[in-house]
Parts: sequence; C-alpha cells; structure tokens
Amino acid sequence: MTINKILVVDDEAIVRESIRDWLKLSDFDVSTAESGEEALEMIGKEDYNIMVLDLRLPGESGLSVLAKAKETKPGLKSIIITAYPTEDAVAEAKELGAIDYLIKPLAPEDLEKLIRDTITSMDQAEVAEDRKAPGEQPFPALKLYSITGSGLKSLIEGLIREREVIGPMARQGKFIFEKISRFEDMVLDYDVSLLPPSKFLFPAKETLLKFNVERGPQFQPVVDTQQRALVGIHPDDINAIELLDDVFMKINPDPNYITRRLNTLIIGVDCLHPASEAFAPSMGTNIADSGFDLLLTDIGIGFVVTVGTKKGLEILNKYAAPREVTGEEIARQKEVRDEAALRYRHTLEIPKERLLKLLQDNYENPYWEFRARTCLSCGSCVMVCPTCFCFDVQDEMELNMIEGERYRNWDGCVLIDFAKVASGENFRHTKGSRFRHRILRKGKYILEKYGRVGCVGCGRCATECLAKIASPVEAFNAIAESERVREEARQIVHEAELKHNIYLPHLASLVRVRDLGQKEKVFDFKFIDGRALGHKPGQFVEVSIPGIGESPISISSSPTRGETFQLAIRNVGSVTNALHNLKEGQLVGIRGPFGNGFPVDKLDGKDLLLIAGGIGLFPLRSLIQYVLDKRERYGRVILLAGSRSPAERMFVEELDEWNRNPSIEFMETVDKADEKWTSNVGVITTLISRVRVETKNTVAVVVGPPVMYRFVINELKKTGLADEHIIFSLERRMKCGVGKCGHCQINGVYVCQEGPVFTLEQLRGLREAVL
Amino acid sequence: MKPRVAFFDFASCEGCQLEALNLSPEELTDLVAAVDIVNFREAMSERSDEYDIAFIEGSITRQADIARIEQIRKQAKTLIALGACAVIGGVNCLKNDMPMEEALHIVYGESAGFYDTIPTRPVDEVVHVDYYVRGCPPLTSEILKVIKAILLEKKPEIPNYPVCVECKWSGNVCVFERAMTCLGPVTRAGCGAICIKAGRFCWGCRGLVDEPNLDSEKEILQKHGLSVGQVLQKFQIYNTCGVKK
Repeated sequence: MTINKILVVDDEAIVRESIRDWLKLSDFDVSTAESGEEALEMIGKEDYNIMVLDLRLPGESGLSVLAKAKETKPGLKSIIITAYPTEDAVAEAKELGAIDYLIKPLAPEDLEKLIRDTITSMDQAEVAEDRKAPGEQPFPALKLYSITGSGLKSLIEGLIREREVIGPMARQGKFIFEKISRFEDMVLDYDVSLLPPSKFLFPAKETLLKFNVERGPQFQPVVDTQQRALVGIHPDDINAIELLDDVFMKINPDPNYITRRLNTLIIGVDCLHPASEAFAPSMGTNIADSGFDLLLTDIGIGFVVTVGTKKGLEILNKYAAPREVTGEEIARQKEVRDEAALRYRHTLEIPKERLLKLLQDNYENPYWEFRARTCLSCGSCVMVCPTCFCFDVQDEMELNMIEGERYRNWDGCVLIDFAKVASGENFRHTKGSRFRHRILRKGKYILEKYGRVGCVGCGRCATECLAKIASPVEAFNAIAESERVREEARQIVHEAELKHNIYLPHLASLVRVRDLGQKEKVFDFKFIDGRALGHKPGQFVEVSIPGIGESPISISSSPTRGETFQLAIRNVGSVTNALHNLKEGQLVGIRGPFGNGFPVDKLDGKDLLLIAGGIGLFPLRSLIQYVLDKRERYGRVILLAGSRSPAERMFVEELDEWNRNPSIEFMETVDKADEKWTSNVGVITTLISRVRVETKNTVAVVVGPPVMYRFVINELKKTGLADEHIIFSLERRMKCGVGKCGHCQINGVYVCQEGPVFTLEQLRGLREAVL
Repeated sequence: MKPRVAFFDFASCEGCQLEALNLSPEELTDLVAAVDIVNFREAMSERSDEYDIAFIEGSITRQADIARIEQIRKQAKTLIALGACAVIGGVNCLKNDMPMEEALHIVYGESAGFYDTIPTRPVDEVVHVDYYVRGCPPLTSEILKVIKAILLEKKPEIPNYPVCVECKWSGNVCVFERAMTCLGPVTRAGCGAICIKAGRFCWGCRGLVDEPNLDSEKEILQKHGLSVGQVLQKFQIYNTCGVKK
C-alpha cells in the first residue's frame, strides 16, 4: 500500500493552500479542511495517512481534533503546526499521539522531510506487523467453532502423524512439556508447566554455528527445521511467546528462533485451574487474542475453538470436524473464563499502567537490597521464566582441534557473573542490584523497549524460588506499598512543616501603624493567607524579623474586633526597634497565639475590677475591648488606669471614650501631673482604696509593671478579695512560646504555656514569683 | 612438539583417573594425537619426570606429600587439580575436625603408630594451581575440555553459577519439592545436575560457588526439616575445608 494521503487542516487559507500546493508538487495526494469540524468529517469518510494540523482553530480545537481522530482512526499520524508553541500544548499533542510539531511560519522543506520520515517509519512498522504472523496472512477476525472431545483427539492424532507434537504431561506431581506420541498422554487441564513451552522455540542450549578450521576458519549456520505443534499452551505463555516474537523477529531477526517459530503451530488452551502463585489477570495475560493458531476452551461438553490463523482453520477443518458455535456455547465460554479468572490468588494492587512510573521512582528503594538478602543467586527464577531470553554464547572445539561449534545457553541477570567483565569488575555485584534489575526488566525495561510488560504472571519464578522472594507481583506490590507509606510520611512531614511546625512563623503584613507615645506604636497586622489569629484576650504572639530575631508581644486587641490584630509595642530592644521601622505593607513572621489568656469564661456574671498600670494597658486592653463587646455577660465593670504622667498616657482617645461610657465605672490617675492635668494624681493604689466592691462576686484583673503588683495586692486584700479572685498577667522572657526553651520558667511553671495569667492563689505556691 | 601430560595421585580413591580414561575409542585416538601421556599409573607402567601438564588427583594429607607436590609444581608448566579431593579437600577433610592421633587410630587401629598424617589440605593451599576440574568424580568431558583449553591457550570456562541453573535447563522437578534436601543452590554447576537428573540430590562435590549465600541455604535446609547438626553434616561431606575457608 502506498502511503501518501495527506490532510491539511488550517483555518488560514494562505497557509493551507501553500502547503497543499507544495506537497502536490512532491506527488502527495493532498486534501484540505478549514476547520476542525470539517476535518473530522473528512477523516470519518476517508482513510488519510498523515494529517498536518494547526493547533489554533476556531470552533473545534486542534487538540480536540487530535483526540477524536485518534479514537476513530488510530492509524492516522499527525504533525502539528503552530505559531504559538506552548510547552503544555505540545506535550498534550504528543500525548495524543502527534508525531512532531513545526513552528509557523514553516519552511515547506522541513514539513516535507518530516512527512517523508513519518512515512518511512510507517513502512517499517508495516513490515514488522507482517513478520509478526510469520508465514501467515494476518487473519481478519477471530472466528469461533465448536468441536467435541473426539474431534480434539483426532486433531491431535492427525498432528502427531504429520509433525512433532509437544504437549503438557504429568511428571512427579508437576507438569512438563514434552513430545507426545499418544493423545492420552496429554493433560490439558494443568495449572502450570515446570518450564515454559517456549523452550521449544528458544531451547536451554542450542548450536548457532558449526566451524571448521582445517583450511582457515569456515562457519556454517545451524537451524532447527523440525515441524512442530505446541499444544495446550496457556494464554499467559502465548503472551510470553508474542513478546519473544517481538524480541527475536523484529529488529536483528534471530534465524534460529524464526526458523523454529515459522515451523511451529501453536494450539492454546484456556487455563481453568491456575497455579497457586499465578497472577495473570493482573497483567492482562489470562486471555490471549492473538499469537495462536487455535485456542481451545474446555466448556465441559466439548471445546470452543478460537481460530487465530488461516493455517489453524485448515488443520481444524482437516481433522476436528468443527461446526458453527452456538450462542449458548459462546456464553458458556465466557462463563468458564470468568470463573477461572476468579481462581487466581494474587493480584497486583495498582493498575499495571502505573508500574513503569512506580519502578522509575523507586530505583533507590531500600527494598531491593533488603528483599534480596536471602537470594541464592541460583538463577531458578530466570531459568523458568517464559519472558526471560538472555543467553550466553560459548565455543567448544572438538578434541581433533579442527571442528567445533558455537552454542548458546540460557543465562540470567540474577547470576553473579552475568555483568562481570574480563578485567574483574562486576557491574551488578550486589544481590540487591541484580534482584532489582530483574524486577525492573519485568516491569519497566521490556515494557519501554517492546511495549509489553515483561511479566505474564505465570508464577513459575515464585514457585521455584527456594528463598521465596522471586514473585514479581509481590515486589511490585511491596514497592507500591512502600511508596504509599513514604507518600504518607511525606504528607505528614509536609503537614507538620506547614501547619504544625512550632517554629515556623506565618507571614503577616502590616496594615496600619499609629504612634502612641514617644517610644510606643500600635501595629495592625493581618495574615497574608487570610487565616485568623484565633486568639483569646491576654495571649501573646512571637513576632519575628528575619535576621534580627523574635520577641514575645502581647496582643492588644480583642478577637471580637475583626480580621486584623493589634500589637502595641514599646521600642526597647532590637526586634521592637526593627518593628518600629516597619512600613505599612511590609511582612513579619508571627507564631502563636501562645499562653493561657484571661479566663474570660470564668468571669461570666462577675463584677470586674480591671486595673492597668502604665503599658500594662497594652495586654489588658484586649480584655477591656472583649468585655465591652460582650457587656451583658458581666456585672459591674470598674476600670482603673494609671500612668506616670499625662504625657505617658497610652490609647488616649480610648481612655476618654471609656471615661464617657456610662456602662463602666472608669477612674484614671497619673503619678505626676502637669499644668493641664485636672484629674486624679497619685499612684494607682490610691484609686483602689476609693472603690467599694461586693467581695464575693468580684474578680480583679491586674496588669502593670512588676513593682506595682506588691502594692496592689496589699490594697486589694484590704477590700477583702480572695486570692483566687485576684488575677495577674506576668511578664517573663519568653523565647520559644511553646514550653521548651526554659527561659520563662517560674520554678517548674512555664509562663508561656501555663501563664502568663495567674491567680494570686496560684502565685503564692510559686516561690520564685516574688510579689 | 606435543605437550606431555602426567597424572599424579595423592590421598584419593583414584576414581578421577578412572574417569579420565573413560573415553570412546575416537576420543582416545584424538587425545593421543593431541598430547603425549607420559605418566599415568592406572593406565601404563612407563614413567617419566619430563612433563608439561600435571593433573593432580587427591588431597595433601601427609608431611611427605608437601615435598612431592612442590617438586611436581617445579617441573610442570601447567598444574591442574583434578577432582573434589584435589580441588576442595573433599571427604578427606572430614578428619580435620578431630585430633590427628584419633583419626589415625580410627583408621589403622593398633598399627596407627606406623603412619603419619597432617590436617587435610586441597592442593592450592600448598602450591599454586592453574586450573581446576571439579567433581567426585569429574566428568570426562570436563577433563577433555580443560585439555582442549590448554591446547587452545584459552582459559577453560567453568561456571560460577549454582547447580540450579543446569538443573532447570534439564527440566528436573526441584529436589526440595520431592521431599529431599539439596546443596545445589550453593554448589558450582558444570555437572549438568547429573545426580538430580538421576533422581538423587546434590552433595556439593564440585565445591561452593564464589559467593555462596550459605545463611540462606541453611535457612532453607532447616525450613525443609533438617536440624542444625544435619545441616552442618550435609555441608561437611565434601565441603569441610571449603566452608571453613
């Protein structure tokens, strides 16, 4: 068949027509389409060999045309032309089977060369396809017949008369393939044979050449031309023979194999009682739909015969008295096959399409060395394998020193010296590397080279392996499982890194900054990933500036006040200094919230006496805001605030607001007044003595500089408040915030975790908490 | 000039020499055409001290053996250890596990005082060995193969894979599946799994492969019902010297 029908698909007339004209000059039969829809319609009606396809089409896109054409005409080869080559589109086009792509504007010579190369490779594929069914024309479609048991008997007896017939026989509780001389010697319902029947196509030892050196070296090829029939071959072994056909008959055809193969009829039989180690369904090889001349299915009342070749049909008609198969028999055939498929005990746990990638990704998996620990390197697994075909070649001279032969025998990659060179290096010197190589050949290398999985799931290796390590499906599953476990572990690490790494700050951006005093500012932050801080009043965060460090900063705003959170910060150290230099929009790292916070739930229904000294107002403010926002939950709210001087008052507007707020009782004092100051003067304790509280139902919350606490406690005790109703927030050096680094400890207590909020009762038990 | 071949026996049953003689008339004719046999106690009475190729049968078990083998080594261009005793010490090594006096007494009883003996050594523990022909007895074909290799000046290809390989080639049912145990998985092939083919099992007469997985083999033997003692015994028959190496 000449390959020269080209379809050019491009919406630009000038491109379409110039390509058409050029190719016509080179004697191609060219048609054109200006849209994807038109192209698909034409492809449906006509058989084109090559499509030259623009990716950017109005309506039906180029990729979509490619996908649909692949469905309807899988043989159609496509060349992409595009003015806008993106990596993704090109990759997708290739995925969809496109041969290659050219960038517009294109040189017609390039296109013509690409088309000619494509045609050459199609020619070769066709030749290979012809070779695949040696001596036989490809049979149009599988046709089914029905024969009786005696029909089968006369078929086998007929074959015995005309050629050597090899069939399954019982031996010492096992089955072997051997020459049979009587139909009755054959056991068709067997599980698996010791050695694969392919040994009659590729024997363990065979002479390749004879030579004679008497008058200079002379070589004489040796081939085996015996006419044979292999009878009773299971579908998995038929699949294996198809692989051997690919290996030995396509590139560098092997004369010894081809001669035997061309002279061998293959009569398969469906396997109804699979071997205990078999897993053919997982490899898709429990059914064969090519590679045989005839295939028998024992349906109990006779045999359904699937005819695979013309030669098969000839011998069937000649000996077996076939008749047309009935619908019932076809249904029964399907039934026995389905039942048999359920009898396999081992399954590949992943789709076999994933094997290649799995093995690719697990080259370094410690499984290989670990599992191969007990490997005897005895070669049993590869010697019984129907898809193994490695061999060694040696010369043997006769004692007369004149004649000799060059022979080959089965060799295998698990044997120690397989990859050893004369100088002594062994390129696969560990058991694990050889074990891995064998499994990778089965699941990857052969698949890549020949397009077939190199394992048909017959289970012979697993049966013969004394160390019980050879089963490919076990290795595939183990690797898949280890990858799953590893992936899980990776996921855990990943999650731990993102969510649970206690030292990993989350980025927050500075939304707003305001001055509070000479050395104090209040910053509004917001997490860039949109998450909420999720804090309680009285908790703190660790704020970090990379390169400078981290500082614990109490949160000044209530969680009830929106998405941002506020940190009021006095500039006293390196980190706070860096923070003070921060511009709006810049990022910081935030860890937390940490600490216990104020016990807002325990304060429900209580009268509150809130006392802030100096910048103790910064943390206390979060509680004040919270209480104001949930005012109805609390009884009286008395707020006392003290500053050193009017100039050092913080959050001035809010202080004034609270002063005006009728729902709270607010008093403020300064240690030292100036001319403008008209309110109270004196330390904060002077305010406490002016407050009358109902002691049983009142809780005092006090935040201020350490020096203040002793005096405040004295004053509060005078009002009769119990120790458990007096609450403080303490300041300590909190480096880590997560109860590890130890800097914040008061005796055994980690302030960053169990504090910073304590009752006086709790603090009295801590001797380091000097009050 | 044809190479001159000499055969020498040390502690052995001389079965190896017998096997070397097990030739067809054509082979014998070809052999005699290719080499001169100058020393062969089992086949001829003439003796010569002029030879090129020395086949050594048997292991070194007496003080006097040492001087003798050293003298042969000096004379021979090529020295070949022939058979299990020469190659790995073989069954002669069994006595190495007991005091030499006891061994003498067991063998010679009251006459023990007339004999001397030393712990058994394979030939290559005393002198350099060029090539090995393994087995108890070795295959005639392998003896010829080594002679042919020397004539062709090529290194004889002796497999370093276990008996299992050839056993599978032969299509035998595995010994372990026939309720017996076997040393095939760690024993050097080359014999064509002859014993297994005959319905027996491998005794390990050809010695161990280069990197035998002995731990795994022992595990397997135990899994198939052998006690530790029986496992050791199994190895000791031919490989007492070899396993300890």
